[in-house]
Amino acid sequence: MALGADRYATRGDTLVFLSSLALSLVAMSLPPAIRDPIASGLRRSVLWPFLQLQAQSEELRTSRARFVQVTAERDSAALAAAFLGELRAENARLRELLGLRARLGTRFVPAEVLHQATPTDPLTVVISAGKRQGVRQLAPVVAPEGLLGIVSVTEGSTSLVATWAHPEFRASGMASDGSVFGILSPHGAAGPGGWLLELDGVPYRQRVPFGTVILTSGLGGVLPRGIPVGTVIGVAGENEWERTYLVRPAVPPGAVTHVMVLVEPDAGDLRSVFLPDSGSPRP
Amino acid sequence: MRRGDALRFWGVLGLLVVLQFSVRSRFGNERVAPDFLLLALLIYTIRARPGASAAVGFIVGLMGDALTPASFGAGALAHAIVGYVSSWAKVLFFAENLLVNGGLFFAGTWLRNLILAVASGKLAGPQLGWELLVWSPLEGLTTAAAGVLVLMVFRQWLAIRLEES
Repeated sequence: MALGADRYATRGDTLVFLSSLALSLVAMSLPPAIRDPIASGLRRSVLWPFLQLQAQSEELRTSRARFVQVTAERDSAALAAAFLGELRAENARLRELLGLRARLGTRFVPAEVLHQATPTDPLTVVISAGKRQGVRQLAPVVAPEGLLGIVSVTEGSTSLVATWAHPEFRASGMASDGSVFGILSPHGAAGPGGWLLELDGVPYRQRVPFGTVILTSGLGGVLPRGIPVGTVIGVAGENEWERTYLVRPAVPPGAVTHVMVLVEPDAGDLRSVFLPDSGSPRP
Repeated sequence: MRRGDALRFWGVLGLLVVLQFSVRSRFGNERVAPDFLLLALLIYTIRARPGASAAVGFIVGLMGDALTPASFGAGALAHAIVGYVSSWAKVLFFAENLLVNGGLFFAGTWLRNLILAVASGKLAGPQLGWELLVWSPLEGLTTAAAGVLVLMVFRQWLAIRLEES
């Protein structure tokens, strides 16, 4: 038999509940200068074994996936060996699959994304690489498709990444041909599966065709030039002197599992890495 | 609660915590995968008093906030409220029933996401709508299914005896 509701909770229970609420509200109102060290301290102490467990689990999952992939590729290669044309096509496909790693000249650190089960997970994500691997604050974090975000906090073996979906994210963007520049910022939802960016501050007389790939411009010195951010899909608004374009992001932060952190401060122009047809010779 | 029962009870909760950080990512889409940590909290509230449930909820939420600092404090608030309300709900709805427990797991997940999304202030408009009407119900369903499965498998270990709390 269950206890009666009227005598189930005591004043002590109510007091503890109210205290928890009060502490939560205090935590919410903490400025980043106080909040970040507390969060970092928790990640480096209480949560450290759990993050290690999650990183190991992701690594194991990746290893298994790689093994399956390699096995499948070996079988495919054996089959294709009978037909030279098919073998060439297979080779081209594999080169394409491995292309980013081969073509990326700048030094990078691979990492797994350790997702959490909260609605705000896509705004900031923890990755399994930190100071020990050479990750520094403000380092760009990319996936094969383009930009995920920027490292905001580095710790021993993990880092916190503020993704492009974070309300405070801003980046200078440009059209892939370098003709149009603007400021990229998060826009909102595009449906159940995706959030959007917007390219703000584009002069009214400069039209950006839908489908144009938007890259980082390199202005500002934080993000190197030439990392794909997304594709223009529409106009969000306009006034007498400028337009704001909607951009579908290249990398969905809630779904990405593996990333690379660019650890060289001056990575140069990366267009040839992400856009094979941009003119630079490939290896 | 006898010592052996308590050990088994905490063992199941520990197992759920390990599952959260080890196999959750293998359920496909992270946004609809069951939240084992929240499930552990909700199962804990079966036996705990509302005050203790709120306190544990606060701690669980704060740990989650440390991993997603964009909503720091909001997770603690959401989990504290869900823990407290869940503990009350167990009294009011007779938690021995599996379906009722499943419903509480679903409602707890959805309520947690609602409070977290609103309190963090980071989601608004269509983003909030999609979160509350699509993703949260799906996550609630998978969490409820996982919870019912855990209760069925560990029924003996998790015997719900509120009168012994």
